[in-house]
Amino acid sequence: MRVLVTGMGGEIGTRVAQLLEANPEVTEIAGVDFVPPRRRLRRSEFRRIDPRDREKLANFVMEFAPDAVAHFGVYEPGSRLSPRLAAIYSHSCTVTALGAAARTGKLQRVAVRSGLEVYGRGRGRPGVPDEEATVAPSTPYGRTCLEVEAIAADLGRRHEVPVVALRMAPVAGSHVPSPLGRVLRLPAVPVPAFADPAFQLLHVHDAAQGMVLALLAGINGPLNLVGPGAASVWQAVRLGGRIPVPVVGPAWTLATHAAELAGASMPPHIVELLNRGRSGDGSRAVDVLGLNEMRPTQEVCAELFEWATVTPLHVPESSAISVKR
Amino acid sequence: MNANVSSVTMYATDPDRAQSMDLITSLRRRFNGRYLIDPFGADPQLQDVLAPVVLAAVRTRVEHGERLIRNGPALLVSNRGLGVVEPTALTVAVRCEIGRRLRIVGVPDIPVLGDIMRKLGGVIAYPGDVGALLRAGHMAAVPLGSSWSRWAGGRPPLPLLVPALGYPVIPIAVMPGGPFGMPLRPWRVVVGEPLPIHSKKGSGDPLAAAELAEAARTAIDTLISGDSNG
Repeated sequence: MRVLVTGMGGEIGTRVAQLLEANPEVTEIAGVDFVPPRRRLRRSEFRRIDPRDREKLANFVMEFAPDAVAHFGVYEPGSRLSPRLAAIYSHSCTVTALGAAARTGKLQRVAVRSGLEVYGRGRGRPGVPDEEATVAPSTPYGRTCLEVEAIAADLGRRHEVPVVALRMAPVAGSHVPSPLGRVLRLPAVPVPAFADPAFQLLHVHDAAQGMVLALLAGINGPLNLVGPGAASVWQAVRLGGRIPVPVVGPAWTLATHAAELAGASMPPHIVELLNRGRSGDGSRAVDVLGLNEMRPTQEVCAELFEWATVTPLHVPESSAISVKR
Repeated sequence: MNANVSSVTMYATDPDRAQSMDLITSLRRRFNGRYLIDPFGADPQLQDVLAPVVLAAVRTRVEHGERLIRNGPALLVSNRGLGVVEPTALTVAVRCEIGRRLRIVGVPDIPVLGDIMRKLGGVIAYPGDVGALLRAGHMAAVPLGSSWSRWAGGRPPLPLLVPALGYPVIPIAVMPGGPFGMPLRPWRVVVGEPLPIHSKKGSGDPLAAAELAEAARTAIDTLISGDSNG
């Protein structure tokens, strides 16, 4: 099988490539992204292409002619790109890469990254939505995810290929660039004053594993991918030994700007998570993919704070020089 | 189905089993953020801390407690008045009788109060959430529509019973212990026979759900009238 991994430069994309390399069924792997992969890859071919350069991207995909596409070119706002650019990159990468792959006529299956954000939060929406729940995104990232899902599903219908949309809980880990991780690692974290909503996280390894299993199995339709258990906002802040700063109503705008100044961008879907939580029912993915050993949310949450506690070693300059010699 | 998708035991707290922990340990864990939260927003540790107070305030007497299911998913259907006393009495009864945490479906989706009720084990009345609760192996309770008189079951919540098809459904009558419906003596909680299961899990058949709702209402009415006569 020839697999194309879009968004291979991201943490999950790189892990997906590593898992695919370990699978003998997969004969060739090609990847594109606007940044290079984060780990050493042995038999994947990587091409650095800006998703906005549609012609270059389309040519590369057509030349490779993939049987399967693992589409990670869905960029979370505030992760590595600003919210505006993230939406443009996601749209461009989805339309161009999937369109080019379909035109080759060899495409057999597609897996796309999506998020629990497609369900939205608020009145009339379930607290723990399953895949049957109505999709009603309430943030720009949710709308981007839904758009990607719709494009992919439409392509699947027209070309009769199974398309699986993996609606992932926020992906986190000690080395994953995630806006939620950055906010929770601030010394003082804004939290809702009169609420303590529950949210779920997904470990980056489980995200990659789920994507590879769903792609190889050729599943059709959406699948929620969430880490078991949950954490609450106040709890996560205390778990990291941070100071919770209660915020009400319009003060969230101020908190968003303050966090931005402190180096943690807070796009709308993160503000929504802090205020209304984010959960999903991942039992179908567990059944269908056999993912029985997923990392629980609270472990992922604890891992967020692990690297922050690494103490720098202060080596005297003289000894450092002597070692060098 | 994997029964333990959202039931993760961490920090020595089980999301399904009632426990007791000394106050100092609880406070220390709370300060350090080392306590369990479940995806529905429940806070089992907070429930365990508040349990002695609630147990002292709302006393119950359970009849046929052996009919309650000790492991795995189940849906209890019960009558209720207008307030929250019946659901509380039912929660206390389940906690005392089989040591499980009961999830009451029907929390209002409003700020502050809704959040507090969710922490104490409530869930918003949304069919998908009832399904998710059962798939995660919890014991949930769906009250019939509230009625002024405490001596009749109200309207059955039909959409909430659709996801319960294929799972054990147990009718329960909750009645005030004193004369004329006054809660002077312990609340009487009468557990009925589990209703026969006719459908497969996740079949989503509205007609089967309507039959289930009627069967539950009839069973509860029988429990209440049988009890008031006797």
